[in-house]
Amino acid sequence: MTKTFKVIVNGGPELAVDATEGTLLEALEKHQLEMHYHCRSGFCGACRTKLNSGQVRYTTEPLAYVRKGDILPCCCVPESDLDIEH
Amino acid sequence: MSYSTFNQEQTNPLTEPMFLGNSVNVARYDQQKHSIFEKLIEKQISFFWRPEEIDVSRDRVDFNKLTDSEKHVFISNLKYQTLLDSIQGRSPNIALLPIVSIPELETWIETWSFFETIHSRSYTHILRNLFTDPSEVFEDIVINEQIKIRANDISQYYDDLIFYTQLWQTHGEGEVTVDGETYNVTQREIKKKLFLCINSVNALEAIRFYVSFACTFAFAERELMEGNAKIIKLIARDENVHLTSTQHILNLWQYGEDDPEMKEIAEELRDEAYEIFMTAVKQEKQWAHYLFKDGSMIGLNESMLCQYVEYIANLRMQAIGFDAPFENMRSNPLPWMNKYLVSDNVQVAPQEAEITSYLVGQIDSEVNASDLGDFDL
Repeated sequence: MTKTFKVIVNGGPELAVDATEGTLLEALEKHQLEMHYHCRSGFCGACRTKLNSGQVRYTTEPLAYVRKGDILPCCCVPESDLDIEH
Repeated sequence: MSYSTFNQEQTNPLTEPMFLGNSVNVARYDQQKHSIFEKLIEKQISFFWRPEEIDVSRDRVDFNKLTDSEKHVFISNLKYQTLLDSIQGRSPNIALLPIVSIPELETWIETWSFFETIHSRSYTHILRNLFTDPSEVFEDIVINEQIKIRANDISQYYDDLIFYTQLWQTHGEGEVTVDGETYNVTQREIKKKLFLCINSVNALEAIRFYVSFACTFAFAERELMEGNAKIIKLIARDENVHLTSTQHILNLWQYGEDDPEMKEIAEELRDEAYEIFMTAVKQEKQWAHYLFKDGSMIGLNESMLCQYVEYIANLRMQAIGFDAPFENMRSNPLPWMNKYLVSDNVQVAPQEAEITSYLVGQIDSEVNASDLGDFDL
């Protein structure tokens, strides 16, 4: 079953992201966005992104420090529509 | 406040600050104040590797094909990394263990330093393969002016912290005169030195290493020095765990989630911390200039490398609450770097240099014509 949410990145157009198909990072890459990343498994923090609104769920517990208002797209999926700055 | 290897006072590690509280007595992990450090220990140990597992024998052939300016880039970076890991293999232990106050962080520091010693041993593994006698390369590390400038800048924060901790642990707080020089030793002063030291270490692991990483992976992009690249890929993965640990320490202080006095100090010394990062960026750009003084290499030049330093500095400084200082360097100038920095868990094709998961039972790099003898088209 698909679970699709609308994601706005850097004030751009709304992108459809299916929360059942991979991480938020992978989903945004499929939309051809240039994403910052290194480890892709939650321990380095290079994909750190500002969450303006919405909620995410971590599929792997992040080991990098997640500052208030930030998310790590490499290890989470959307749980609602999102507005983020990457 | 002399150090005891087993503090007999009954202490509660759940209420101790990370540093400069009571020294640790029982190494117990059933209860933890900052459980993240044990998770980092587990992650780091799961990444265990040995330099000898990686076949670097092909690199000698590749090395002889490099131009003189490319050889300069390759060897200089190895010297610089040898310096960085010489410092990191001992300094967290010497500087931080005497003042750490919670067992999970104490064990993290030991684990962290131990992995740096694996890195140091891997440089010898690489160099022994390239040169019959690598002494000249190692000996130059304490002679080469370009490396000495960096060595000084990195070690001074550690040395300062170590010295004040020694004075404090032997004389306690107050004025202490050593060799005609008077030092005002207070716990707050040591905390300030600790704060600057952790910032400097974070800059080292989060930014300084990446100039050499970029050169190594630029060679690997041309299918050169791939054994070396495989080793550096493992080192980069470890460094990503290490920099996360110092980011945690800095953020815990900043958010007041540990020692309230460290929160004050983090605010008070914010500008000095910023300057530590900006100095590291400046020095790394100078290093890029030194690397390419005799000419560029295919796929990488001084200006691209400097752009990458700015790009990576933006990411790292934002991670500890600074604004990105290089506004127009928001996109990655060396996108191919990322494929070497991914921590892969899945083996795809073992012959690819960017895959690290396939280590034990190396592929045989020797191929003879006779191996293809029964192969018909």
